[in-house]
Amino acid sequence: MGLRSFFGILPPKLYYKDVSAPIEALPVPEKITLLWYRRTHSDLAVRVGTKVETGQDLARNGRGPFVSTVTGRVEEASTFLGVDSREYLAVQIRADQKDSFDPSVTSVAGLSETQPQTLRTGVNRAGFTALRSIIRDPRVWPTVDCLIISALDLDPFSIVNQQTFRDNPEQVEAAIELLARTTEASQCVLAVPDNLADIASKVSTGAATVAMVPPVYPNGLPEILAKKYGAGLLMKTYDAGFAGNTVVVSLEHALAMVNSLQSGRPMLEKTVTLSNGQDGKLRNFRVRIGTPVGEILKRASVEVQPKGKLILNGIMRGYSCFSDEQPITATTESVHVQSPSEVFFFQNTQCTNCGKCNSICPVDLEVNILGRLSEYGIFNKCRGLGVENCIECGLCAYVCPARRPLVHFMTLAKQGIKTVTDEPANMEEALACTACGPSCPAIRLFDFDTESDKEDSPKV
Amino acid sequence: MKALDITVSPAPHCHSGARITGVSYNFILALIPAMAMGAYYYGFDAIRVIAASIASAMIAEALIQSVLRRPITIADGSAAVSGLLLALILPASVPLYLVVVANFIGIIVAKQCFGGLGANPLNPALVGWAVIRITKAWAGYLDFDLALINYETGFILQYPLAVLKAEGPAGIAHFGLMDLFLGKQAGGIGSSAILCLLVGGIYLVLRGTIRWEIPASFLLGVVVIAGIFWLRNSSNYASPIFHILAGNVMIGAFFLSTDNATSPVNRWGMVAFGFCCGAMTVVLRAWSVYPDGVIFACLLMSLFVPLLDKMKKKQLLPPAVSPVTPQAISESAEVRSAS
Repeated sequence: MGLRSFFGILPPKLYYKDVSAPIEALPVPEKITLLWYRRTHSDLAVRVGTKVETGQDLARNGRGPFVSTVTGRVEEASTFLGVDSREYLAVQIRADQKDSFDPSVTSVAGLSETQPQTLRTGVNRAGFTALRSIIRDPRVWPTVDCLIISALDLDPFSIVNQQTFRDNPEQVEAAIELLARTTEASQCVLAVPDNLADIASKVSTGAATVAMVPPVYPNGLPEILAKKYGAGLLMKTYDAGFAGNTVVVSLEHALAMVNSLQSGRPMLEKTVTLSNGQDGKLRNFRVRIGTPVGEILKRASVEVQPKGKLILNGIMRGYSCFSDEQPITATTESVHVQSPSEVFFFQNTQCTNCGKCNSICPVDLEVNILGRLSEYGIFNKCRGLGVENCIECGLCAYVCPARRPLVHFMTLAKQGIKTVTDEPANMEEALACTACGPSCPAIRLFDFDTESDKEDSPKV
Repeated sequence: MKALDITVSPAPHCHSGARITGVSYNFILALIPAMAMGAYYYGFDAIRVIAASIASAMIAEALIQSVLRRPITIADGSAAVSGLLLALILPASVPLYLVVVANFIGIIVAKQCFGGLGANPLNPALVGWAVIRITKAWAGYLDFDLALINYETGFILQYPLAVLKAEGPAGIAHFGLMDLFLGKQAGGIGSSAILCLLVGGIYLVLRGTIRWEIPASFLLGVVVIAGIFWLRNSSNYASPIFHILAGNVMIGAFFLSTDNATSPVNRWGMVAFGFCCGAMTVVLRAWSVYPDGVIFACLLMSLFVPLLDKMKKKQLLPPAVSPVTPQAISESAEVRSAS
């Protein structure tokens, strides 16, 4: 996996893969599943049995549109608990092989002269998750100081953006021009990994400057790009409004945005990288959004062995799923399959204060203290130490010799800050994240005396 | 969704392969040359003390953990390391019951009572040594001049720092600096083997087992403060080179002060910690009743670790929680453009 040198004075480096793999298109599957987080006052606009068209908005009063990516009939709408402990709606659609497009989504005419606000409405209507978190309302638009279009990937085992850059260097200029106008950013940066320098030198980037980024994890993460090459903080919606002033859009999403504004069709397909730990080969697949992961595995003839792991969105920041029916969403970057021998288990050991996590943390947090505070539920102190700045890159847990689930502790603290103030009575609510169920060591601490826990505790 | 029989766990899904045992075993590996040097000069007596010390430390840990019904963790090697470190700073002639008592107090009182590895505020080996040193009936065993009187090693068996304390810089003229560097000096079983400790320490730094800031700033602290004393009055105070090469400075800089649990982890905290340890060493050597001050300096500075760990840039905190309104959004935009 990572390369660990004999000399440990320098922290271990996780390099992004420098490989090219052609993108293989998969046909529309029989059944697709679309996920939707239902907010208050919003509801599904369709019922079981309703016929839907490609591009149709399936929701009423949602923050952004809930776009159907196929034409077909709604078969099932059920709730399920996501990894972030929110309740999601899963809408299953039996797909026809032929698409008929919803007429309400139209192309934006005369792209080069269009007003930014019209462009934003168009992007919002096409259902882009990449910008949706900041396009709550296209009329209220915060000042964007810097726009970064990133040809880097989010995970060492993903090559989606890299491959998009290799395949379509000629489209980059149009994407930069259009996105710069949409966001009204004063500065524009194209972030390219070092290994693609020869392609970047041939690309005309218009108003954007090119930033050559060393292909070492976590340089491809939006927060790090914003900090190193942008105007400081990444723009994200804290509950009080907007923080930071840099917007990062992946190259794949940028090209898809141009495409959908030109053609009037929303983003229907997503490229994902399939990798497995055994042969280390990376393969790219382009699938309809909502395709179950199992379809990709079947096509690649990769099998998830019993007790193995199926990981979506990368080995460092991704989540492991319990079923191969988990759908590909608009933000899924990669699928990784681990055999039982590769599966890594965290341990319920205490911090030895070695400081490896502190020295590797890209946002300079005091991880050793935060891990302990979060473990014992002291969330208000975690807030004072800036746990909300954690980008969950996973490097602290990657280097921890005690093998503590540090990222999980950070997530727990963030969730705890959201749900509890200081009252211990609300602790159970905070801990109801269920992201990992009974394997969570933080929950274990609170009922440490039960007999079953004693039996489960790791033997040294 | 149909659940498969597969593993589910939080991110990240891979690991660098580092283990707690790696730290301990690297420490032991790095101390082997110093141990060999002690065994070469003091023979079976040195091996006896080292073996008894490691064994009693591990037994003490297993015993207290089984009494407290906690998982027994002697396999991680941390107890063995603290037993070994204690043995290396003791003279070869020390009676075995003292070694056992020191280890039991160190492991049980200073380490396990505070919650075990990583939670101990003081290094157990140093606490064990300090208990012997400050107990009136036992302090004599740590007087190297008396303790090593019956050995024949081929070099002057006078403890250089005791000579310095008694006679001043005039008395230490007959100690060759090269002899001190090669370990030809009276002292603890391993703590006098300066060259071996330096090699072991550099190995640990390169392996990333210890943080390089602490030994570097420790040695810098000794050189700077001893240099100030020496430049002001060279007839009363010894040169910085002598201070580095005599006594426990080398083992203190690389092995005693760098214990993970009892040292800070933030860069400037580490630098301050190491520098103050070095400075305190020289101050204690110059003005206290004890010939060497390394161990007391390390113990004292360990108490300041929580304070030193606060030497870090404050994180930028997100704004306080309030409901989202278009006004709030435009206001935050205004605040940004104003700043």
